[in-house]
Amino acid sequence: MEEFNIKTKVVGVDISNERTSYAIVDIRGNIIAKEHFSTLDFPDVNNYVKTLSEKILTLVEANGGYETIRSIGISAPSASSISGCIENAANLPWKGVIPLAALMQDRIGLAVALSNDAHISALGEHVFGCAHGMNDFVVVNIGIGLGSCFFSNGQEHKGFSGYAGEFGHTMVVDHGRQCGCGKQGCLESYVAAKGIVMTAEEMMAASDKPSLMRDIEGLTPKDICDCCNKGDEMAIEVFRRTGYLLGIGLANYASLVNPEAIILTGGISKAGHWLMDPAYESLEEHIFPNMRGKVKLLHSKLDDRERDTLGASALAWEVPEYSLFK
Amino acid sequence: METRVEGVESPDSIKTRVVGIDIRVEKTTFAMVDIRGDILAQDYFPTTDYPDVNDFVTALCERLLVMMEENGGYERVRSVGVSAPSANSVSGCIENAANLQWKGVIPLAAMLRDRLGLAVAVANDAHIAAIGEKAYGSAHGMNDFVVITISHGGLGSCFYSNGQPHLGNNGFAGEVGHTCVEINGRQCGCGHKGCLEAYCSRNGLVKTAQELMAESDQPSLLRQLDKLDIMQIVDCCDKEDELAIEAFRRVGSMLGLGLANYATVLNPEAIILTGDMVQAGKWLLKPMRQAFDEHVFHNIQYKTRLLVSILKEGERDVLGASALAWDVKEYSLFK
Repeated sequence: MEEFNIKTKVVGVDISNERTSYAIVDIRGNIIAKEHFSTLDFPDVNNYVKTLSEKILTLVEANGGYETIRSIGISAPSASSISGCIENAANLPWKGVIPLAALMQDRIGLAVALSNDAHISALGEHVFGCAHGMNDFVVVNIGIGLGSCFFSNGQEHKGFSGYAGEFGHTMVVDHGRQCGCGKQGCLESYVAAKGIVMTAEEMMAASDKPSLMRDIEGLTPKDICDCCNKGDEMAIEVFRRTGYLLGIGLANYASLVNPEAIILTGGISKAGHWLMDPAYESLEEHIFPNMRGKVKLLHSKLDDRERDTLGASALAWEVPEYSLFK
Repeated sequence: METRVEGVESPDSIKTRVVGIDIRVEKTTFAMVDIRGDILAQDYFPTTDYPDVNDFVTALCERLLVMMEENGGYERVRSVGVSAPSANSVSGCIENAANLQWKGVIPLAAMLRDRLGLAVAVANDAHIAAIGEKAYGSAHGMNDFVVITISHGGLGSCFYSNGQPHLGNNGFAGEVGHTCVEINGRQCGCGHKGCLEAYCSRNGLVKTAQELMAESDQPSLLRQLDKLDIMQIVDCCDKEDELAIEAFRRVGSMLGLGLANYATVLNPEAIILTGDMVQAGKWLLKPMRQAFDEHVFHNIQYKTRLLVSILKEGERDVLGASALAWDVKEYSLFK
């Protein structure tokens, strides 16, 4: 009888530039088993796919067997859910267009869905996180880069060619800082990791005021945050300026999308109230007056890595089941 | 030949028409429209004649019933769609419209339904413009697109996501006119500084022209005009007046920047421009396209179409309202 053989588990895979995490997840989002390995060990994508497939099969066999797995969802940078390919990822070791979904499906014999990390984060928040029950919301990831994804009427908005959400490359300062994308004044060049450090360096160069930041070599956003916690005024001002610009960007975003909430994720969001307070103040100051006080600014409750494996597992349920053996 | 089969409706009983109503501050236009978007009859009257909304509804319904009787009868009409400023499609009410003479919250859909005995849907003008473009205009066949409306001194928009209009959590989405394009820039009517609307609406254009005249002593045809308005400035451009051309260049550049930020977030198939500002043609559109390409994210550069609406100004909103009418469930007092 078929009803006794319903497949109740999926595999979620999160490929990030340094590390690949994968997990077996059940219907309710419980992680049954998880593993990870270094992405950087595989400069050739064929070897990578072979190893990843073998590792997944080993994990699956140790946890209930292959026949209990319905499908696989994968999160990767620069992945297009429309083509199933990783397309010209800037920071991954594999260049060009990689048909990852097809490669994995051929090896494992299960349906494979692929999407990029920003969309997977939003899906993870929608299914298992702060955005549960929301139809219109934005998830913003602030780390090395600044990315986003929003849901419209309960569906993710991918855009015409799958590139929607490039929030980091909206302009906030006319003829401002040079951004890695080639343009000037992009929000990312102010509020992502490098931008924050640059703001700190500019402020240190502009005055003689003492600051704990001056003693640190190879300053990182985390160092700046530590200085804030020790009461360093200049470090606090760095985050205040960052938050001010982030708030303008978020206000513009919210004026267009009118979301129920904006959820911040990623390494920089860990700066907590040093960033969130000035960002919210600036958001409220610049948002369209009708929406003032109506858009929540939230800090994600999920662990970053866990969210992306969970999000990938949620994506896995969206593809039709497929089996080589049927 | 037997044409009637019991339990099967004859084709004559299917209602093939709807009513589209476009309420604006000065003028209310109403039309009967068939399934294919052909306007069978259209008429209008001044909105300002009715300071009391009850009188307005009475007058509108009387006119509608006469039009229906003259064009095939009430029983052929399926439903009614209404476009109005500050209308909320969820509640069916006009909510605190700044420029209409009726204050507060007006349950327009319920009032019309009670009078007409037909299902009524309402939506605001930006949303209706997008529905009209999708059903019968430049966005036909598109799933992800933006419609920008620059008219009545404002700059509004509505976008579609996955084939559905995106209204947002409170129905306020699309306020591109109030996104900031210049930190601590021009004062906007909404209370903020540096809003796109403060530069790219009719008033923004006039302000830009005035600033240009004040900045220099350069002779210009603009200086001889009593009243600056879009078409007057366009006329000066057509006569190769440098200041007038510069005014549109500045407005177009700002618009291109604002739209580039919009497109970078949304990745639409097309951005469709409507409203009276679009009459400026190349004087506005060339600098707009240039600034757009300069500022949009490189992955979608040259992949976003910028279009001018193919629908006529007077027709888009009644057609959009008629398309909305098809979205509501049929309702009849007599069933």
